Formats: sequence, structure tokens, C-alpha cells
Amino acid sequence: MSASPSRLSSHWTTFVVLGFVALVAVWSFAFLGLGEHDHRPALSVLVGCLFWVSTLIGMLMLTMITRVFDAGWAPIIRRSWEFMISALPIVLLLGVAPLAFIPEFRHILWEWTDASHILPSGHAVGHDPILQAKSWFLNENFFLIRIAVYVLFFGAITWALRNWSFKQDKERTAQHTHTLHAISAVGIPASAVLLTMLAFDCLMALSYHWFSTMYGVWFFALSIRLALAATVILTYRLSHGGWLDGLLNQAHRHVLGCLMLAFTVFWAYISFSQYFLIYTANIPEETFWYNIREFNPVTGLKSDWWGVSMYLIFGFFFLPFLSLLFYRSKIIAGRILTIAFIIFAGGIVDLWFNAVPRQIVDKTAPEGFTVSPFISGYLALDLLAIAGFGCLVIGLFLRASTKAETIPVHDPRILESINYHE
Amino acid sequence: MNERNESIHGVACTFRKPADVYHAAEKVRDAGWKYWDVHSAYPIHGLDQAMGMPRSKVPRLTLLGGVTGFITGCLLTWYMNSYDYPLVVGGKPFWSPIFPFPVMYECTILFAAFGTFFGQFILNRLPQHHHPLFDLPQFARTSDDSFMIVLEARDSKFHLDESRNFLLSLGGQEITVIRD
Repeated sequence: MSASPSRLSSHWTTFVVLGFVALVAVWSFAFLGLGEHDHRPALSVLVGCLFWVSTLIGMLMLTMITRVFDAGWAPIIRRSWEFMISALPIVLLLGVAPLAFIPEFRHILWEWTDASHILPSGHAVGHDPILQAKSWFLNENFFLIRIAVYVLFFGAITWALRNWSFKQDKERTAQHTHTLHAISAVGIPASAVLLTMLAFDCLMALSYHWFSTMYGVWFFALSIRLALAATVILTYRLSHGGWLDGLLNQAHRHVLGCLMLAFTVFWAYISFSQYFLIYTANIPEETFWYNIREFNPVTGLKSDWWGVSMYLIFGFFFLPFLSLLFYRSKIIAGRILTIAFIIFAGGIVDLWFNAVPRQIVDKTAPEGFTVSPFISGYLALDLLAIAGFGCLVIGLFLRASTKAETIPVHDPRILESINYHE
Repeated sequence: MNERNESIHGVACTFRKPADVYHAAEKVRDAGWKYWDVHSAYPIHGLDQAMGMPRSKVPRLTLLGGVTGFITGCLLTWYMNSYDYPLVVGGKPFWSPIFPFPVMYECTILFAAFGTFFGQFILNRLPQHHHPLFDLPQFARTSDDSFMIVLEARDSKFHLDESRNFLLSLGGQEITVIRD
């Protein structure tokens, strides 16, 4: 190996420090917001955290899926996923966990946890029959247990996947590949259940009257899309002066491009189906969720959220979909990189669309509430939170890369991976 | 040259190892042949490049089929529900891009599949019930343990003796003239 991996990895402290500075700033805003009873800065922390949780869960799933299917192309890229996912429990611990465990943040973000919170209908949450019917799941103790389980489970599975993979570098036995195969076979369904719960708890429960059984699948689709886009960006950087220099070839880009195309379609299929079923059934307790994302309840006109949803259709689906249809978009490094950035940015918009709009009680409004606007100064705080968690993730990734070989030198399929071609 | 080639399909030459046929294919490619082919029992990695084959044109027909299908789906649902027999279903508009979308994308998928399936038939010139190579006893072995390069007479570079010698120089083993 050349000197470049260590040169790149030596910057890890810079990234971790930058990340911490940004996170301290974002958390300070969140505490200031608490004083003014403003949930929005706390939501910035949640959005920033969930953006990276989503990306890292996608990488975790890709790590396990390529293990189970014994993908020949994967090993040189999978090692970078293994470095990345080491950050997953830490991102959860610095974002979602404090938001859930500090009662003030919990009450202000997840209204269902605050029995005295007044709904637009004029009733208090504590007397809401809809919440009472769901209370076997939506009760504070079980909620906190679940959050703890996410941290513990994702911590354990990411540790296990790295541990046996890194051991193989030294012990040179194929046995560890079989062990990892077994861990992944158990880990995929377990992670699928827990990522669904996580999406329910952290995002869907922000608006607890609403429910969608497809929400977990939507979160999974978004996670894989973000993970693939991040992988394309990361491997591009690592093949230009990093440890994948001279290793990453056109066929690796092609396979990542094909997966990006597949999951772009999958995301659109899931997101559209969710909308389509709610539109067709036309039941008020479901449609309100889309109504507040289309109309201004005071004027009845289309709000700025409608523009956001149009961006999701055309900018987050059609643009990447139509470009990825072409073979050359998948193999030319500059083109696939551009598409990856488009998907990466679109993922932020999709999270905004899902997390930010909420009914804000306003007695003067005709329907008793207004909707949080899309355009606001808090978008900058969201981006700062995403950048902060991002720096932290990159820092931890670079730190992890100093602890093991930067490609799995004794993986049984390492040569197949290096010489992979279409 | 032409009158002599009338009854000749081309010359065939067998190879015993995939590496041999691979390198021979590179030389045929570099000599600038247009009408020729390699036969193997299984896909040989990198043979497309060794033969200088361009990418398949089937995806273009798939895209054409998909676009046709999408437009067909739009027109179908619009004509039926909004024009020919306007019908209110579930309080929805007569036509909008939302409720009939499953029809639209199913048509896209169906027509894209048609484009792919029939496109490869057309580009492969199928169905073809007979081929002069089928008369060659050695040809059957290319589906078992042998490889073959065939230079076709319709190529402007084709000249019976020269082509034969060319194949010999590539390390081919049995050289056979294929007659139509």
C-alpha cells in the first residue's frame, strides 16, 4: 500500500473536532429553542442525525446483503462500508438518544409524549382516544426502551460485522467469511424490523395521528439510495489519492450505478404507492398528512411544500432515473458522481418533506392550525446539523481506517473484487 | 472474387483453449474484419472487447418501447375514462396523472419488455431455421469442448486462400470451408 491511506486517515481528528464544534452549535440552538417553546431547532438535530443514520443503515444493509449473496464485486468497497458503519451507534447517541431521553426535548418534538399538549381540535393529548388506542406501542417507557434497543442493536451488529472481517486480515481463514455470512443472515431481518421501528418512532410518530405501513420500506429505500450515493462519492475520493487508487474500475462504477437506478425506481414505487393508496382511500385521518404538505390551511392555496413535493418527483426521481438509464452515465466517473450528488441532496429534501411540516395550533386560523413553512432560517441550521454529523462520520470513518487493512487482503474473493469486470 | 464466393459461406477454424480463441479474436479484430464470429459453449470474459464488438442496440429499443407504453397508458386511460365514457369513480377526476398511474407504468413495463424481446429477435435476425454452420460436424463441438472462429465470405476482406492462411497463422487447428 502506498503512503496515501495514512496521509488521508491522519486528518481524522480535524473532522471529528469540526463535527463536534458544529454539533455544539446546533445543540445550543436546540436548548435556546427550548426556552422559547420552539421545537424547530431540536428538529434540526433530529434531521441531521437521521440523515446520517439513514445513510449508515443503508451501508449496514449493503454490507450484510453483499455478504449473504457473496457478491464478487463487493469486498474492496465493503471494507469502506465497514469503516463507515462504526459511526452509526455514535450518531444515534449524539442525536436521537438525547432528544428522546431529555424530557423537555421529547415533549416538544414528539407531541404524543406530552399529555398536556393541546391539539388543533382543542383537546389535550392526554384525552385523545386515538392515542389511547395506540398506547400499547406509543407509551413513553416502551419508546425509551426502543430507542435504547436501536443504539444497542446497531452498535452490536456493526461491531460484529467489523470484528470478524478485521480478524480475517490477520488470521487468513475462510471460516470468518462463513461466520459473517451467518451474522448477516440473522442481521438482515433483525435490522429490517428495527429500522422500520426507528422510522415509525423518529419520523412517523412526529405526527402520531397518521400511520402508514409502508413507512419502514420508504425509510429503507431512502437509506439504500443515500448509502449508494455516498458510496459513489466516497469511492471516487478514495480512488483519487486514497486507498482505492488504481483499484476502483469502470465495472465497480457500473454495478453501483445499476444499484442506484434500481433503488431510485424502488424509492419512487414505495413513495408513490403510499401516496396513491391514501389518495384512493380518501380517509381523513390519512389524507391530512398529505394535505398539510400541499395546501396552506389558512388560504387554501398551494403552499411552498407543494413545490418541495414537485422537486421530489422531478428532481429526486425523474432526473436521476432518466440519467441512470444510460450506460455511459453509469461508467463515466464525472457523470455518476454528479448523479450521486443529486441523489444525496434529494435525500435531504425528502427528509425535510417527511419531518418538518407539522400542525401548529393557532386559534385565529380558520381550521385552528397553521403549518410550519418550508422556507425559513432553520434550513441553514438543518444543513449545519447535517454537516456536523457528516464531519463526525467522516472523522470516525478515517479513524477506523487506521485500525485495519484498508482493503480486506485475505477475503476469499479479494482478487475477484479487484479484477471485477462487467 | 465474387463468383467464386457465391456458394461459400466462409471459412471456419477450431481452437482448443479459450485463451487461444481470445487472442486470435483480437488479431481478427485488428485486421479490420466486419463479418465474422466466435463460437463458444460459454461466455468468455472480455471477448466482446477482444472482438471489438460495440454495445448492444437492444436498450434503445427497450427505451422506445417504454416511452410508447407510457404514452399508450396515458391515452388509454384518458380515452376510456374521460373521453369515450366519462365516469366518476370514488369522487376522483375523470382523468388525472395519479389514479391511472398503475396502468401507465404497467404499460411502460409491458411495452419495454416487448421492445427488448422483439428487439433482440430483430437485431439477431431471428427466427432463422437453418444456418450453413449446422452442416459442419465440428460445429457441434463448440457447444461442448471446442471454440471456433468463422470468417464470412460477405466480408470485403474475404479471399479463400488468404483467409485460410490468416486463420492458420492465428494458431487455428482444423480449417474448413463452409458451403451454403
